[in-house]
Amino acid sequence: MKPVPAPTAVTKPYWDAAREGRLLLQRCTSCGAVTHYPRPLCPSCWSSALEWVDASGRGRVHSATVVHHPPSPAFPVPYVLAIVELEEGPRMMANVLGGAPVGIGAAVRLTFERRGDFALPQFELVD
Amino acid sequence: MDGSPAIAGVLELAPGRYPDLGALEMQELVLARALASWGLRPSEVDGLLVSPAGMASGASVDVFAHDALVDAFRMKPRFAETVNAGGATYGIMAARAAIAIATRQADVVVCLGAGRFPPVNAGGGDAMARIVSHVDFEVPYGAFIPALYALVAARHMHERGTTREALASVAVTSRAWALEHPDALMRKKGPLRVEDVLASRPIAEPFRLLDCSVPCEGGGAFVVARGDVARRLSPAPAYVLGFGEHHGGRVSQAHDLATMDAGVSAARAFEMARLRASDVRVAELYDAFTITPILLAEELGLAARGAGGALFTEGRAAPGGDLPINTYGGLLSFGHTGDASGLSMIVEGARQVMGAAGSRQVADASVALVHVYGGIMADHCTLLLGSST
Repeated sequence: MKPVPAPTAVTKPYWDAAREGRLLLQRCTSCGAVTHYPRPLCPSCWSSALEWVDASGRGRVHSATVVHHPPSPAFPVPYVLAIVELEEGPRMMANVLGGAPVGIGAAVRLTFERRGDFALPQFELVD
Repeated sequence: MDGSPAIAGVLELAPGRYPDLGALEMQELVLARALASWGLRPSEVDGLLVSPAGMASGASVDVFAHDALVDAFRMKPRFAETVNAGGATYGIMAARAAIAIATRQADVVVCLGAGRFPPVNAGGGDAMARIVSHVDFEVPYGAFIPALYALVAARHMHERGTTREALASVAVTSRAWALEHPDALMRKKGPLRVEDVLASRPIAEPFRLLDCSVPCEGGGAFVVARGDVARRLSPAPAYVLGFGEHHGGRVSQAHDLATMDAGVSAARAFEMARLRASDVRVAELYDAFTITPILLAEELGLAARGAGGALFTEGRAAPGGDLPINTYGGLLSFGHTGDASGLSMIVEGARQVMGAAGSRQVADASVALVHVYGGIMADHCTLLLGSST
């Protein structure tokens, strides 16, 4: 089976929300920076005053590759590994589902992949 | 630099497989062979820097490798530690050794490592990916070493116009150099053509199999000594003229995928050495995949941005070219020894400056630039070595 996350006290709200079909980002109430992935401190000003905000789910492909040789047999190939730049600014790693090549700059939208007891935020091309 | 620290000796095992040796035993073998070849007794070594034993294999890791070696050789170093910054480790060791000599903490510092890199399909690839990727926010998406570098390559091609053929030319160039190195793993395979690279099986686009370095096992060591000691050990030591470091983070959070901030450490090294990129006669650039020598050449100032690929497509980096790069065959054709990979470039850079590179010797190798990095281009170290202080 593909790897699943191991939630911590910091990341549990993120994974709980994903199960409900929401992608959470952290916004720093001190400096306003918006961050993905979740962490205990704001990486811009080191404040611990972070609040959860919902991402719009819109983004663009910052870089992508079609993988033909997987890290383990759990990953059927081909799949697209991408870095998506979210509308809110942060970048995150995800798959662009479907496996077809995607161009840099392509518009993508949020979707979710069920994996065991988890839902993984993923993306698909906007038609 | 105070004390004129210089690399006075190098040793590298032939890359391959060492199935009968544990990770620590490989380090002991390296140290024994190195001291014997340099004519040094363990008691003369007053600084010891070693990489963790067993890291890239995903097996248990010994982060007290320095104590194990001190024990095994009954050494009495004035300073010793186990150092890790992935592939950048050995550049950082050279810098630490030079600082120790300049500040009179030590006169003779041995830097060494040995690595195991299990075949990718035997779990080696997955183990390496887990070391350098975020276990919850990158690994579940199938983050895999070739794929992570492919994200860098795709961005470089997009922003700089780097071509698929330029990537292939890096592999071709490295193979040409490997044919001149008796120990290079891919020497027996003979020369490579661009079309061979393009016809090899796809791994993670744009990479094909021959764009990827070759996992193996190996190790080596070098000794950095105070100038007068170095000149006793070697007729032509490679002086450490400058170094610089820079440390970044994970690929998904990289500030700029097309640069990976590789130029920062080089600027520091050039400033320290009072040298410019145009002074560099030979360059050894860490090449886990074919994109990295192109990206590094541009960021280090050896080529203009967008012109890194031409160093390889036009033969300038190849044997006979005016800016030889990865003259030992690179990780692409010499072999990638896992934990010890970053040693290979330093060993070769020093050999070139010392005039000891055999049939691959570059004429007038007065200044060598070595750039090593760890993680997925997260930890950077640039080293400038020269034949005079």
